[in-house]
Amino acid sequence: MVKRTMSTGEERTKEYYEKSVEYSKFYEGKIQVIPKVPVRSLDDFSIWYTPGVAGVSRLIAEDNDLSFEYTSRWNTVAILTNGTRVLGLGDIGPEAALPVMEGKALIFKYLGGVDAFPLPIRAKEKEEVVDVAKRIAPTFGGINLEDIRHPDCFYILETLREELDIPVWHDDQQGTAAATLAGLLNALKIVGKKLDEVKIVMFGAGAANIANARLIMAAGARPGHMIMIDSKGTLHAERADIDKLALTHPWKYKFALNTNEEKVTGGLDEAIAGADVLVAASRPGPGVIKKEQIAKMNDNPVVFAEANPVPEIWPYEAKEAGAKVVATGRSDFPNQVNNSLVFPSVFRGVLDVRARKITDEMAVEAAKELAHYAEERGVDEDYIIPTMEEWEVYPRVAVAVGLKAIELGLARRKLSRQELYEHVRDVIEASRDTLGTLVGKNLIRMPPQ
Amino acid sequence: MSTSYEIREARKEDLERATELISRLKYLNAEFDPLLTPVETLEEESRRYLEELMADEHGLVLVVTFEGRVEGVLTARIVDRRFYDPRIVGQIIDVYVMPSFRRRGVGAQLLEHASRELKSKGADMIFAEFPAKNMIANGFYNKLGFREITAIFAKETG
Repeated sequence: MVKRTMSTGEERTKEYYEKSVEYSKFYEGKIQVIPKVPVRSLDDFSIWYTPGVAGVSRLIAEDNDLSFEYTSRWNTVAILTNGTRVLGLGDIGPEAALPVMEGKALIFKYLGGVDAFPLPIRAKEKEEVVDVAKRIAPTFGGINLEDIRHPDCFYILETLREELDIPVWHDDQQGTAAATLAGLLNALKIVGKKLDEVKIVMFGAGAANIANARLIMAAGARPGHMIMIDSKGTLHAERADIDKLALTHPWKYKFALNTNEEKVTGGLDEAIAGADVLVAASRPGPGVIKKEQIAKMNDNPVVFAEANPVPEIWPYEAKEAGAKVVATGRSDFPNQVNNSLVFPSVFRGVLDVRARKITDEMAVEAAKELAHYAEERGVDEDYIIPTMEEWEVYPRVAVAVGLKAIELGLARRKLSRQELYEHVRDVIEASRDTLGTLVGKNLIRMPPQ
Repeated sequence: MSTSYEIREARKEDLERATELISRLKYLNAEFDPLLTPVETLEEESRRYLEELMADEHGLVLVVTFEGRVEGVLTARIVDRRFYDPRIVGQIIDVYVMPSFRRRGVGAQLLEHASRELKSKGADMIFAEFPAKNMIANGFYNKLGFREITAIFAKETG
């Protein structure tokens, strides 16, 4: 059973590799810039460009925020990366990161109607990335950080969130975390447990799981009831390398001080006894987490095994060991924790209200709305989070995030729920219609057979 | 978490925990420079060092306890500088507070307590030595009114 699933998975991956190479060559990239104003005659250039455009520049020079009204800035996002941790490929450099960022831009546009620009930069040092982000901020309505090694990514996100007045988001952290939280909220409903009561084990302490933990706490879990495990075992305030963490990884250090109030030492075997929830984002399985370990959990345990391409434990194994609800990062199993459910809508929401920030509170709101959406359709153990095909979920999450930004006083533009919803829906629909039209007119060709 | 703590001279029963804390400090120092790498027998050396210092009339070992448990330690001794005035000074050798009990002024209280004790032993000045790259210690002593008077430069003999 294991073998069969793995080999089909590997074969399918290989097919996708080959197709991606062939099609990328055929289309010579995945995105392009298309004007959004008519050109009735060349005289129109005197409006869109010089001399007319100087009138717009003079206005914006008086009030920089007018750049959100008179230019495309309101709908643009930079997909900023230094290529130091691309997918599972590692530090492959900015050029090699470009196809990934183009793909991201495509999803941004298709699902969220967002004009996103791939921006891989040659800048290995975290301070350089921060510097570049600050310098390009005037062009964009938001910045999406992507595929940056940790712990640098924590420093970069934290610094930019503090210092810029446009939303900054690191998708590998927050996108995954919001999807995880959404699934967890519904999973707990199914097993009848409360977030502020459950004992949670976080297996893995990379960017994704540290963000998972932070957002789960922000949503109300008790830090003392959480145990995080890295390659050296459980984090706790008296671990031998605690002072080293303080110097090299202040984020992990903070977790070590605040979580694991019982100071459980050892590894997963020790931590998992009696746990209600396991959230793993560690290394590809199978067999990284064992059935015997799941069997040690409390009644009706919830298991998130998020490693890609193969989860830490196969979902059916986790179930055989007693797991009530299992989620993974894969679309071929139920309950896919998928950041594509999150980032297009979060940015749609913050762009439409011209937000200055994306706070953790707003990310929690996105997760809650995702969870509500699934709940309205009826959650069960195989449906705790919406799937990508459920189109209505994107405007719903966008509106929830946008309204939260307004409530928190972080929005430049205040819209009613209805106004915001209509705007969001129109932008997303226009994006899909545009693509459909270009394909229909054969301006975008079908791939070669 | 309790906020009330007690600072007192170390007793025999504090030895194990104080040894652990001293060892932690030495491991921390190694993070700043490879020439501060602890010896393999660190724990043993730390224990013996504490025993010697506690038995020495010129030595001082203070502990800070929270709910009876040792969570911080300070060691110091009286030194005769011989060439400089004041001659008799107090050398702060180790200051370590467990991470959970930091950022609440425990270290400063330890220093103040040590300063009093060392003065009563005849010291007219106190000084501390720490890794040059430890900016946290640098900030700590600066804030308490210390200033840099000498520097230690090291080079391997190759």
